Amino acid sequence: MKTLLICPSRRPAVPHLVAFGPLATTPVFGDSVICYWIEHLAALGAREVQVVAPDGAAQVRAAVGDGARWGVRVSVVAAGVEPAMDEAALQYNPEKGPGWLPAPHDIIRMSHLPGRPAMPLYDSYASWFAALVDWMPFARTPSRVRVKEEQPGIWVGSRARVSPMAKLVAPCWIGDQVFVEAGAEVGPGAIIEDRSIVAGMARVTQGWVGPDTFVGPMTSVANSLAWGCTLVNWQTDSALHVPDPFLLSSLTKLKTAEATDRFGRALAANGWTGSHSHLIDELHARVGNAPG
Amino acid sequence: MKIENQGECVSVSEILELTAANSAHFRDEVRSALSDSSSLIEINLSQTRFMDSSGLGALFALYRATAERDGVVLRLLNPIPEIEQLLELTQMQQLFEIVRR
Repeated sequence: MKTLLICPSRRPAVPHLVAFGPLATTPVFGDSVICYWIEHLAALGAREVQVVAPDGAAQVRAAVGDGARWGVRVSVVAAGVEPAMDEAALQYNPEKGPGWLPAPHDIIRMSHLPGRPAMPLYDSYASWFAALVDWMPFARTPSRVRVKEEQPGIWVGSRARVSPMAKLVAPCWIGDQVFVEAGAEVGPGAIIEDRSIVAGMARVTQGWVGPDTFVGPMTSVANSLAWGCTLVNWQTDSALHVPDPFLLSSLTKLKTAEATDRFGRALAANGWTGSHSHLIDELHARVGNAPG
Repeated sequence: MKIENQGECVSVSEILELTAANSAHFRDEVRSALSDSSSLIEINLSQTRFMDSSGLGALFALYRATAERDGVVLRLLNPIPEIEQLLELTQMQQLFEIVRR
């Protein structure tokens, strides 16, 4: 059975999300929006998924590969603009052939997560965050075995390290290889993507922390989306590039012991490391694991 | 930067940025403008487009200075949304009275 998946083009309401590349590949719950869709379509019986990518076709192709991961054949077609549904139907499935999944799964506009049409992803930062929180109970699909629901409404990656002195409040999602230090508070309504660090006494409430992001000691990510040094308040749409890495920054830049030492010294210079040796140890341990 | 001493109120305005380059000067100038009769410090941040941890440190130093003087209020006026975000990120918005006029 075939199906057609239309990726979103850039949306003016969420300009900062394109930092990750095309919106279809934005990381969510350790995966991406498009990967969740293909998995869903494969479960519905699709064996051939044609992806129309109006933005970043090469990155979309890299994210989904050939589809073997889901047992489907995936092809990605670059498009100049995001086609309307009726245009897509005319162009790709004019006969409404028998080899296609039945409507509405024959042609899908990827403006929401699977089965959640009432929760649009890209209308605003607020809608993006609301859609993610809504998706949290469904994010641990059968193929995602590296995350466990440790307590009702609290999902934790199998390689995450959460201090017993940290406070987790449902609903919250702690991704794989995340480190939550003693005294930190995560939740309610918090999503910490893979490999991020929430340092001691930091708080994440009603917030999304992107992958490989350092949330510094005693900071508060509230009603906000944070990734790298970017902080977007999803209530006001205000965006800030945080100037000091020890407050909020990308961990992908800490690839050497020297860079990690510098970072540790910056933390110390601001009087925040004294009892944070676990944090420095964690940062050093990651240098050996840093890609590239 | 402009500092006006109006009896009980010390008003600070025209602060374009608060960074390592000027935060110590800012802190010292405001401190030296305080007198025994000062009961209110108003720092107008409406023109402040950039602040880093040094600027936050200067504000915190003024907060401590006012905390040592009973009844002295430190008020931040009209911070732009980005500065307000920085105050929230560092949880420093809990220390100050933030007013929009």
